[in-house]
Order: sequence, then structure tokens, then C-alpha cells
Amino acid sequence: MVTAQKYLSVVVPLYNEEPNVVRLYEAMKDALAETRLEGRYELVFVDDGSHDRTFEHLENLADGDRALKVIRFRRNYGQTAAMAAGIDFACGEIIVTMDGDLQNDPRDVLRLVECVEKDADIAVGWRFERKDKLLTRKIPSRIANWIIGKVTGVPIKDNGCSLKAYRSTVIKRVPLYNEMHRFIPAMSSITGARIVECKVRHHAREFGTSKYGLSRVYKVLFDLISIKMITAFTFRPLLWFGVLSIPFLFAIAIATVWMAIIWSADPSASLILPGGVVLLSFNAVAFLMICGVLGELVPRTAEHRPASLAALTAFYSRSYSDDSREKEK
Amino acid sequence: MKVFPSVTVVIPITERYDPLKSIFESYDSALRRCVADVSYIFVVDGGFAKAGDELEEMARSREGIQVIRLNRAFGESTALSMALDAAKADWILTLPPYLQVEPDSLKQLFDDADDYDLVISRRWPLQGHALNKISNAVFNRVVRSMTGLPFHDLGCSVRLLRGSVVREVPIYGEQHRFLPILASQRGFRIRELSLPQAERDKRLKTYGPSTYAKRFIDLVAVFFLVKFTKRPLRFFGMIGSILIAVGFVVLAVTAFQRLLLSVPLADRPVLLLGLLFVVLGVQLFAVGLIGELIIFVHAKELKEYTVLKRLNFDHDKQQGLQ
Repeated sequence: MVTAQKYLSVVVPLYNEEPNVVRLYEAMKDALAETRLEGRYELVFVDDGSHDRTFEHLENLADGDRALKVIRFRRNYGQTAAMAAGIDFACGEIIVTMDGDLQNDPRDVLRLVECVEKDADIAVGWRFERKDKLLTRKIPSRIANWIIGKVTGVPIKDNGCSLKAYRSTVIKRVPLYNEMHRFIPAMSSITGARIVECKVRHHAREFGTSKYGLSRVYKVLFDLISIKMITAFTFRPLLWFGVLSIPFLFAIAIATVWMAIIWSADPSASLILPGGVVLLSFNAVAFLMICGVLGELVPRTAEHRPASLAALTAFYSRSYSDDSREKEK
Repeated sequence: MKVFPSVTVVIPITERYDPLKSIFESYDSALRRCVADVSYIFVVDGGFAKAGDELEEMARSREGIQVIRLNRAFGESTALSMALDAAKADWILTLPPYLQVEPDSLKQLFDDADDYDLVISRRWPLQGHALNKISNAVFNRVVRSMTGLPFHDLGCSVRLLRGSVVREVPIYGEQHRFLPILASQRGFRIRELSLPQAERDKRLKTYGPSTYAKRFIDLVAVFFLVKFTKRPLRFFGMIGSILIAVGFVVLAVTAFQRLLLSVPLADRPVLLLGLLFVVLGVQLFAVGLIGELIIFVHAKELKEYTVLKRLNFDHDKQQGLQ
């Protein structure tokens, strides 16, 4: 049996959302009913190892609706893994991801799809009227967004909003792991993906409890360091390890001059201290260079080249040049 | 009592073994009583010409015995996955080629096995030479505190498992010992049973120092597999950052003393100590970065999740998983 290729996939990770899941499903159905997308979409609900009856509800729903696809994990793997699985299994041309807690509004899906269709690869939801606690949610998130924008150079006002729409060719090439879903726009933008922001509605949580707290900020910041490093390093590891070794090269230079001064003042004086500085710094430089060479090797050994950012860039430049050629004709 | 439908028994011969014929007979007579259909796969892991010949002899004279002989020693994990390819039953029972638990107690493994993916056993009460007992206790205690998982006897290789466990949990080398840990990480349901220890197992077993060294290295490997595979930068970066911070404090204090208090540097190596910390920290950080790079580049291959069930997916349109 061959199913018709769907145009839109809506990916929703669910973890212990028993009170919300049926309402979410119905809201989704309502929102897309009698639009041009009716019958051309699939829902991919990913049950991230819930302990409550979320999956039973999903089974019942999936029984009566072929368009609802359900994936159940063996255990809880976290939101990013759930999104990654949903994206892996989705077959729509446009993929929308959203939270399962009804804080995002299913009626916004259509708007995001339109944003992507217009002229973009990624449409990012922006919860411009956020209904969350000010102190524990809004302010940390404001700070995190500001820092993420500064570091990655992609000033997105709301990185934490899960409601996003992607062209499937783009998102299926972005490696998703750890808690990287927050950085998809940043990661994609360095490769030239066109990103637009799109205002979306936001509702206060009605049922269930929030699974995130203040501790997220520290994790986000740590991941940010890795993502910055990775995006910088994948392109040319040797160069970047070279940059890391600059302070040590300076130390070598200073210690050499220092040695010369001591020696010229008194040729019999001990040179152990500056000599030690030279040796240690040289050791550091040599080690970093070796790391750089190793780093150059790593992307070359990747089996799935599209997973690396370098390949992503190649993909984008290719598709853009194709576009421009078509326009010339 | 309910009779278990079918099981494939896998017996890898990797190190020491007892007379195979009598071992086989005692396992077989115990299993016949609680399993309807038992088949056996012996894997001879390199060498052991005599054992191999004896097994081939047995395979010829009896139904339901398969023998796999490997050209050289590949380790028990490889032997296990080789056997799995040949196994017909959904359930696999691994047994050592010497008695670890009383064969009559094997039937306990099959009780309620359907509710689990992996049923492991623990020799209890554990008797025998103090040396064996202590090394066993220390090893398992360390593993327990590192992983937070309540397994008491990873050295006992009497395990009943579903084929999907071995298919989905990649193991190599000597990692079969840690299979329960790796499996529970992937969300498989595990049960530990206490089985009476066999008389033969209570004698003194001596191992060379290399065995203990290997075991220790395995322990370190598992620690990394469990804790930091997905985020090497968090581990190395954390230690590295601390070292760099310590180094900078030392350097700052030294500079302060030298410049403001005019304490001479020349006869104190403290400047070098500070620099050493910074250098070490930077090196650890660099290693973490390399690790992160490897994970990033291979992220599409290293699936982070395991799927238990899928609904409404047409089988000819499966993507992602094979």
C-alpha cells in the first residue's frame, strides 16, 4: 500500500501529557480542518516514555485516524531526542514542531507554514505575549536569548519557543542531539538558511506541570559554548586550534625576551624560570596543533557527510545557485 | 506450572570450561522440564581444538545443537552476537561452560519473563574463597555506585534475554559483562533474580593481574559510555575550566606578590606551577572539543533514542530505522 505523500508533518513530543493529549489532538484537527491543508497533513506524536496513560490515549486516537502517527520510546530520552525522532520519521515537505502542553496554539501552524512558503527555510515562532511566570521563566529566557543572539550572531527574540516550521530538506540535515533543538536556527543560519520570525499566540498552562525550571539556563549556556565551538571548529579545526595557541606563543616570546635580558645582565644567572615557561608553553602549542590535525581528520571520516556543516553549506550554495540560474532564464 | 515455549541456549567457550558433555547434560535435563523447545548454540572462541572437536561430535549425534568455531579469539561479546545471528528463538539464554548456579534453579528465570526484556541472575548466597568474594563485591559495588543501577553480580553470565536486546545494544570486546547497564540505559526492563550458587563455583578461582587490569579498564570505559558519550565537552571542559581557573589564581597571586610586594620570583617555581595548570586545563579542553566534534559529525548515525512501538507507519515507508 502506498500512502499519498503528505505536504505537512506536525511533530509533537509528549511526555506525561495525559490531561492534554486528547485536547491537543482535537485542537490540531480543528485548526487544520477546512483549510487548504486538510487531508494533506500528518500528525507525528512522539511519546517520550511517559509513565501515565498518554500512550493509551494515543493508541485510541491512532486507531481511528490514519493521519496520526505515533512513536513510543522505550524510556524518557528528552525533548530533543523526541523531536529528532519525529523529524526522522516525518515525511512531509514542511515540518512543524510544537510543544505538547497546549501552550502553543495549533491555529498558528498554518501561519508558520505560510511564512516558510513565502520565502524562508525556517520560520521561528515568537511568543510576543508570553503567559509564564516573570521571575523564573521570562527573565532568564530574556537573558538567554540575548546571549544566544550575541554569541551566534542570529538575533532571535525567542529561541525557547518550540513552535517552528522548517523545510524538510533543511531540518533533516541538521544533527539534533543533546539539547540542541534550541539552537537549530543558529546552526542553520551559518549555513545560509533563510530565517523569519513569526508572532505566535501563547497560552498559560492549564493542565499538567511544567517540566522545566530555572536550572535550564546553566545548561543552555554550556550548550551554547559547545555550539559556538562546534560551528566554528567544524569548518577549519586546525585554524581554530591555532587561535587557541596564540596566548602560548605570546608567552614563549615574552619568556625568550626575559631570558635574553637576564642573560645579558649576568651570563651565569639561572634561566630555569623563563626556560620553564618556554618549555611548558611550547608543549601546549604542540599539543593544540596535534589536536588541530586530528580535528581536520574527524569531519573527513564521517559516514553521512550531510551531517557535517561543511556539507550543509555545500548543499545550500548549490540550491541557491540553481535558483538564481532559473531566475536568469 | 506454565511451560515456556522456546529458547535458544548460547554457551560461549572463551576461557575455562568444565567437561562439556556433563555440563550439557545437567543443563539440558534441567531445561527440558520447563521449556518446550530448547536448542543449543556453542561458540568456540578461537583455539580450544579439543573442545571444538568434542562439540562437533555431540552436534552430529544429537538434534538441536549448533557449533560455531571462530578462527581466533574475538571475545565473549562477539561470540554472543555471532550466536544471535544463528538463533531461531525469540528468547536467548546465555550460560557459561561451567556451572555458576545450580541447574535446577534455572527454571526460576522463566517465571514472569514476559514482563521483562532481560532477566539476570545473582549468585546468592555467595560462598567460596575470600579473595573471589572480596574482588567480586568490590567490583560490583563500584559499578553500582558509578551507574546507580542495582545489579549485584555482573560476573554471573546466566542471563535470559530477548533477541532485541542484543540487536539494539551494541557490545564488543568484554562489554557483555556490562550488558545489563547498557540495556537499562536504552530502556529495557530488567529483573535480577537470586539463584543458588553451584558447588563447583565455590572453589578458589585465580586470575592473573592482567585480568584485573582489563576489568578496571572496562570499568572506566563503561563509566564514559554511561555518563559522557553525548557530551565530552561537559566532562573535559569542566575539569579543564577548573584547572585553568586554579592556574590563573596562582599566576595572579604570583604577579601581585612580584609587582606590588616585590617578592622575588627567581627562587620559587610557583609561576611554573600556575602555568602548568593553565596548560593542562587548555589541553583537556581541547580534547573535549575534539570529542564534541566527533559526536557532532556522527550525530546522525548515533541515534539517541530507541523506539518501542510505532503506530500507523506503513512498513514499506519506514524511514530512519531499518
